[in-house]
Amino acid sequence: MSWFSDKSRKFDDEKKIDSEISFHVEEMTRANIVGGMTPVEARRRAVLDFGGAEQVKQQVREVYISAMMDGLRLNLRSAMCFIRKDPSFAVVVVLTLGLGIGANSAVFSAIDAILLRPLSYSHSGELVELHQQNLKQGRLPTPVSTVRLEDWSRDNSTFQSISGFYAQNVTLNTGELPERITEAYVTPRFLQVWGVTPVLGRDFTREEEKFGGPNAALVSNRFWRMHLHSDPAAVGKIVRLDGFSTTVVGVLPASFLFPDREVDVWSPSQVDAPYAQDRSSTWFSVQGRLKPGVTRAQAQADMATVQARLGKQFPKSDGNLTVLLVPLKSVVIGSIGSSLWILYGSVSLLLLIACMNIAVLLLARTAEREHEISIRYALGASRREIIFQLLTEVLVLAVAGSVAGLAVAAGASRAFAHFSKNLPRVDEIALNWRIVMYSLVCAVVATLVCGLFPAIRGSRGSLSGSLSQSSPRQVSARNPWQSILMGVQVSLAVTLLIGAGLLLRSFQAIGRVNPGFDPNHVLTLRISGSWGETTKPEKMSQRINRTLDGLRSVPGVEAIAISGTIPGNSSGYPVELKISEGQRDPNRKVIANAHIVSAGYFDVLRIPLLAGEVCNDRSATNTVMVNQSFADTYMANFSVIGYHLAYAAASSMKPPEIRGIVGDAREESLDQLPGPAVYWCRTEAMPDPNYLIRTHGDPMAMAATLRTKIHQLEPARSVFSVMPLESHLGDQLAENRLRTILLTLFAMTAISLVCIGLYGTISYLGRTRRREVGLRLALGAVPRQITRRFLLQGLRVALIGCVAGLVLAAGLSRLLAGMLYGVSALDPATYVIVLLLTLLVATIASLVPAVRAARVEPTEVLREA
Amino acid sequence: MRELKKADLLQGTLDMLILKVVALGSIHGYGISQRIQQISKDVLQVQQGSLYPALHRLQKRRWLESEWGESENGREAKFYRLSALGRKQLAAEEASWARLSEAITLILQTVR
Repeated sequence: MSWFSDKSRKFDDEKKIDSEISFHVEEMTRANIVGGMTPVEARRRAVLDFGGAEQVKQQVREVYISAMMDGLRLNLRSAMCFIRKDPSFAVVVVLTLGLGIGANSAVFSAIDAILLRPLSYSHSGELVELHQQNLKQGRLPTPVSTVRLEDWSRDNSTFQSISGFYAQNVTLNTGELPERITEAYVTPRFLQVWGVTPVLGRDFTREEEKFGGPNAALVSNRFWRMHLHSDPAAVGKIVRLDGFSTTVVGVLPASFLFPDREVDVWSPSQVDAPYAQDRSSTWFSVQGRLKPGVTRAQAQADMATVQARLGKQFPKSDGNLTVLLVPLKSVVIGSIGSSLWILYGSVSLLLLIACMNIAVLLLARTAEREHEISIRYALGASRREIIFQLLTEVLVLAVAGSVAGLAVAAGASRAFAHFSKNLPRVDEIALNWRIVMYSLVCAVVATLVCGLFPAIRGSRGSLSGSLSQSSPRQVSARNPWQSILMGVQVSLAVTLLIGAGLLLRSFQAIGRVNPGFDPNHVLTLRISGSWGETTKPEKMSQRINRTLDGLRSVPGVEAIAISGTIPGNSSGYPVELKISEGQRDPNRKVIANAHIVSAGYFDVLRIPLLAGEVCNDRSATNTVMVNQSFADTYMANFSVIGYHLAYAAASSMKPPEIRGIVGDAREESLDQLPGPAVYWCRTEAMPDPNYLIRTHGDPMAMAATLRTKIHQLEPARSVFSVMPLESHLGDQLAENRLRTILLTLFAMTAISLVCIGLYGTISYLGRTRRREVGLRLALGAVPRQITRRFLLQGLRVALIGCVAGLVLAAGLSRLLAGMLYGVSALDPATYVIVLLLTLLVATIASLVPAVRAARVEPTEVLREA
Repeated sequence: MRELKKADLLQGTLDMLILKVVALGSIHGYGISQRIQQISKDVLQVQQGSLYPALHRLQKRRWLESEWGESENGREAKFYRLSALGRKQLAAEEASWARLSEAITLILQTVR
């Protein structure tokens, strides 16, 4: 019975009912006329005798409506009956589907929040990030210089506005203790790009954006609540940032979190300042809002023209530059997309396995209900009605499963947020109506996948079918579909197991890697500083050295150094260099990752000195260290030490001297082989470097002592990002770890489901073939032979499934190739282990029911016949 | 005891009577009500309020089939016909009615 066809027939029926009834009344009228009444009287009597015509029509209509409702109610009631008759089966189905749908909805909620939903800015599709890129030098995209940013903004014709920012940590001195605040310096038009207006106060004025103008700041909602006590009259208040008095001119809405939730203060960066006129100092991360309807390709072409013109005008600085446009959303999302899709794929495979598992169980059950179904046929049910009834039974369970699944998903999305704070947009993952709808859709799809096939097969029994014969008494025919469904399940589970196995082995390989430095017992922290200090590098260098010396004297501190990057977790900054004395292959470009460190760096991280001596960061002449890979690649057979390195691009800096060679260290990431690297030994490069402190004991135990010491040395500065170096490394592997753990979990669930499925299938086979087994035993078969037959049946299914699964995995594992480290996607060991594991599990799962199947008392079975 | 002039139909017997009447040949709703009245010598009178819902119910159960045709005096009317399923149903109901009425008669005679 289908609701839709009943609905579409409704109009038709209404008219037909009308004409059927008016025919009746007219016939009665005719009879009355024949009986001798006047036409008017005859009509009156007929209508009277007929009784309320409308009432009759209504009653006829109710026949149809109540039939439909009855059908639905009956189906639901029989579903309830079906559940009550075997509650353990219902529980298994609800739990299986609950886990399957829950895991699927959880991963979908992450995909929805991170990948599918637009960013939370108004018309966020118009937002792009702009980089400058020097293709000739093969350099990564870099930030943009102030003047160039202003040129782009003025000359383009495809953007509503372009603006840039850079962020730094500053100290808020208004409270009792100095507090670290992240401040973003923004160029004009910042609020226009983001399409926000302050909830209190105003945007910056022209005066405030000019060099030498008054200090002004927009503050975040959080800052307003925490430091300005949510004062509605906060505008005009003065805060002290890094010692400068700054007027609060406005408060931004709580929803505005750009560049990230850390930023509390936005101040104008004066683009007309004398120090901002250098085209080669690049500071700004630049975002623009496209005009409505402009495509990225159009904007890219427009910017290419603009930059080409600048290249002619300033050949030295702009000649080789191109502009790169990236949608803001992909900048925010980063590389997480492929991981999420892999997870979604595997969790969908898991749901498919769960559905097929239930299908196998249902297939067995519908076979047992053959008798009941043929009675329903005999009572006049149509096949459609029976299929619908069987599907309703499954749907009830599936909806219950999806409700359970939502609970799983709600828990999982909280866990997501808790375990992987580094994921982009992770705080946007939440249970909402989209996820609820999604899981209901999952329930319907699951119903069809696991219910339709058994229902169609189960309803094939004909009217004459098995009413007279009852199935337990005869030797039943084999049911190949059950084995086929089991085989497919095994193959899907094997695919998941191999995926998980590859990720696990890869994760192990990363864990075994020798990073080339020793991250144990190293504490990292930062001390706030302002880029304004870089105008007096000597003073800043003295300040940092004073802090270094002060901390070195703290008992428990073994060694201390500063570094621009966190070892093992840096994005890498490749630069092109020249060896002043000439190089082995003059045509070969010398490219190396640059690191800025203090001389103690190698000591703190225990990176071995291989040749020469450690550089000196306090001498008047600049010195550098290179790693072994650099020496081998560019200067083999040369005695490196004493040579001078210069930037290939014109630079005013005097080429520094190479003082020594150190061992290779995995500076960028543990899963990335170390390439050529150069360490510039300087302490005046940045105002707030990372302090790396090697301690005798647990690094975090020293944290409080060190903080106190820093407060003595620098009472006006704030300390932040205090954590062991090891947790930086952990963070860097967070995505990898999450991916590996989840996929392993899914694969384990899959193999458990297969285990249950095989157990169920063999048990069912044993039950339906009891009589056959009894006969065989009576005729002299040995129980062990019987057991072997059933066991082999299970193993054959598992083996065929395994082979199919291995082939499938070999095809699909290419998707994982980019995520693997130290294992090939076709790693034979993984494949063999998975094959053996699956066969072992299949043996165990089949053995128990196979032994039980042979434990039949022949006399008992034969007496039943 | 009050004399029954026009007997109310026993619950559930209307369906059987309709099936029986329709079994005689294709017929419309008005015809069915006339025929029941006629054959029962005016003892049984079918209320239209029960007839039409019953017809549609039987059709819904696929015991009756219907089609539109011309009536004896040239009007468009809906004719009902017994389906194979309806024929089986009628046989079953007749059998059970026979058993029931036999039993009731037996009781009435014995107890007297």
